[in-house]
Amino acid sequence: MAEQDSTQEYRRIYTLNLGPQHPSTHGVLRILLDLDGEYIVKADPVIGYGHRGHEKMGENRQYKQFLPNASRLDYLSGMIFNHGFVLAVEKLAGIEVPERAKYIRVIASELNRISSHLLWFGTYIMDLGGFTPFLYAFDDREQILDILDSVSGSRLTYSYCRFGGVTRDVDSKFIEMTRAFLKRMGTRWADYDDLVTKNIIFIHRTRDVGIIDPELARQYGVTGPNLRACGVAFDVRRSEPYEVYDRLDFEVPTGSRGDALDRYNVRFKEMQQSCRIIEQALDQLPEGDFLTKKVPQKLSPPKGEVYAAFESSRGLSAFYLVSDGSPGPYRCHIRVPSFGNLNVLNEVLPRTLVADAISILGSIDVVIPEIDR
Amino acid sequence: MKVKELEAIMLEKFPDAPLRRDETAMTGALWSIAVPVSGIRDVAKAFGSAGFFLESITALDFEDTFELVYHFNCYEPKSRLVVRMLCGHDQVPPSICDIFRGAGWLEREVHDFFGISFSGNTDMRPLLLPEDADYHPLRKTFGKVSAYHKREEIYG
Repeated sequence: MAEQDSTQEYRRIYTLNLGPQHPSTHGVLRILLDLDGEYIVKADPVIGYGHRGHEKMGENRQYKQFLPNASRLDYLSGMIFNHGFVLAVEKLAGIEVPERAKYIRVIASELNRISSHLLWFGTYIMDLGGFTPFLYAFDDREQILDILDSVSGSRLTYSYCRFGGVTRDVDSKFIEMTRAFLKRMGTRWADYDDLVTKNIIFIHRTRDVGIIDPELARQYGVTGPNLRACGVAFDVRRSEPYEVYDRLDFEVPTGSRGDALDRYNVRFKEMQQSCRIIEQALDQLPEGDFLTKKVPQKLSPPKGEVYAAFESSRGLSAFYLVSDGSPGPYRCHIRVPSFGNLNVLNEVLPRTLVADAISILGSIDVVIPEIDR
Repeated sequence: MKVKELEAIMLEKFPDAPLRRDETAMTGALWSIAVPVSGIRDVAKAFGSAGFFLESITALDFEDTFELVYHFNCYEPKSRLVVRMLCGHDQVPPSICDIFRGAGWLEREVHDFFGISFSGNTDMRPLLLPEDADYHPLRKTFGKVSAYHKREEIYG
C-alpha cells in the first residue's frame, strides 16, 4: 500500500468506474475499482452487459439451428467453438467423421487460434501505448481471414463445421494460400521479437505484473495460456486429444512466474506451435469424403448427456448437452474459459497500480461476450 | 492416479451412492457419483485436497427436482469427474465458495438462471442478469419451453 498521509481523516478511498465502455476492456466489461491514490484496494468486475441467453436459445432450438450461435460465444475463436459444438453433438449422436474432415477442422481451428492470438497481440500492445505492432498483427490476421473466408464464406462468425464433417471441401487454392501464410509467418516472428519482445518499455510494463501462481489458478479454474504461464502444462489438446491432435507433434509452451510477460511469451510461442500443427496436418491431409452422408436431416440423438471439452484460444471450453431424445437439447450449458480467467482478477488486481490494471486486463485476454453468453 | 484415490475416498464416504463408471469417457467424464445435498462440502474438500479444480457448476430443471452438476478436473490426462446431487425446488444447498474460491461466481450464475440459493455464499447479487432481475430464465417454467420432464424420463 502506498505511504500516504498518516492521519486517518485525510485518507480517502474513492471509487473509479472502469468501463463498461473503456477502450482497453475489449467488450462491455465494467470494473468497480476502489482506489487509495494510484493503488487498487478492491476490484469488483461487473459483467452481464452482453447477456443474450445463448443457453436458453439452445434449449429452444434443434441442434442444427444452434450452429450459428456457437461461433458467437467467443467471436474471436468462432471456428473453434463451432468445431467444439459439433464435436459434442457427434459424441451424443454417435456420428463418425471422415478422416479428411478431421484434418480440415484441425487446420481451420488452428488458423483461427493464430488469428485470435494475433488480435490479442495487437490490441494488448496498443493498450500499453504501442500502435505500430497493431498494424503488423492485423496485416497478418487479414491473411487468415481471407483463407477462412475462401472456404467458409465468413470472416468472423464461422459455421463451417457440420455434424459429420465440414460444409465444403478445401481445394488446392486453400492449401496454397495456407502454405504461403505459414511461409510468411516464418519470417514475421523475428520482426515481432525485435519490435515488442525485446522492447525495454514493454518488459517493464509486464514483468512481475499481475502474478497468478498455480494455487490461485487452481482455486479459480484458470485455464489456457494464463494457466500455462504459471508453469502448468495443461492443454486439452494434449490431455484429452480430440480429432487428430494425438497424431500431430507439438509442444505445450509454459512459463514459470505467471506474470503478464509470461502470458505474453506463452501466447507468442503458441502461435508458432499452431503453425507447426497446420504444416503437419497439411502434409498428412488424406483424400476422401469431407462430409459423411449418414447424418439424418432431423437429428434426434438418444437420451443421455455429453460433456465435450476442447481447447479454445483462451483455455478449456466445453459444451454440456443433455438429450431427452427429441431434436433439440433438454439442457445446453457452455463452460467458457474467460469466466474463471476474469474471476481471478478479484484477487490479482488489489495492491496493484491502476496503470498495471490495464496491462493485467490485456494480458489475461478475456472475451466478454463468451462470459455473458 | 488421483482418480483411483478419489474413487476409494468417495466409496468410503458414501457407500450407498450410485457411482457410474465410463472408462472410455465417451460422455466426457471417467465416473460420476450422486451424493446427498448435505455431502457436497465433504466431496469438495476431498477434491480440493487431491489437487482438482472446479470446471463448472450447473443445474438441470426437472418437473420433480433440480439436479446440480459439478464438473471437477485435474491437470493429469483424462481425469474429469462429475458430482451430481438432487436438490428439491425449494431446497437450499450449501455453498463451496470457501473451498474453491472461484465457485462463488459459478453459484451466482446458477442462482441467476435457476433461482437456487446457496447457504454460506454471502454474495448472491445477480451476476449476468440485471441488478433488479426477479426471474430465473433457465427454469422450464420461464418463456418458451419445448419440454418439461421428470428426471427418470431422461436418466431412468
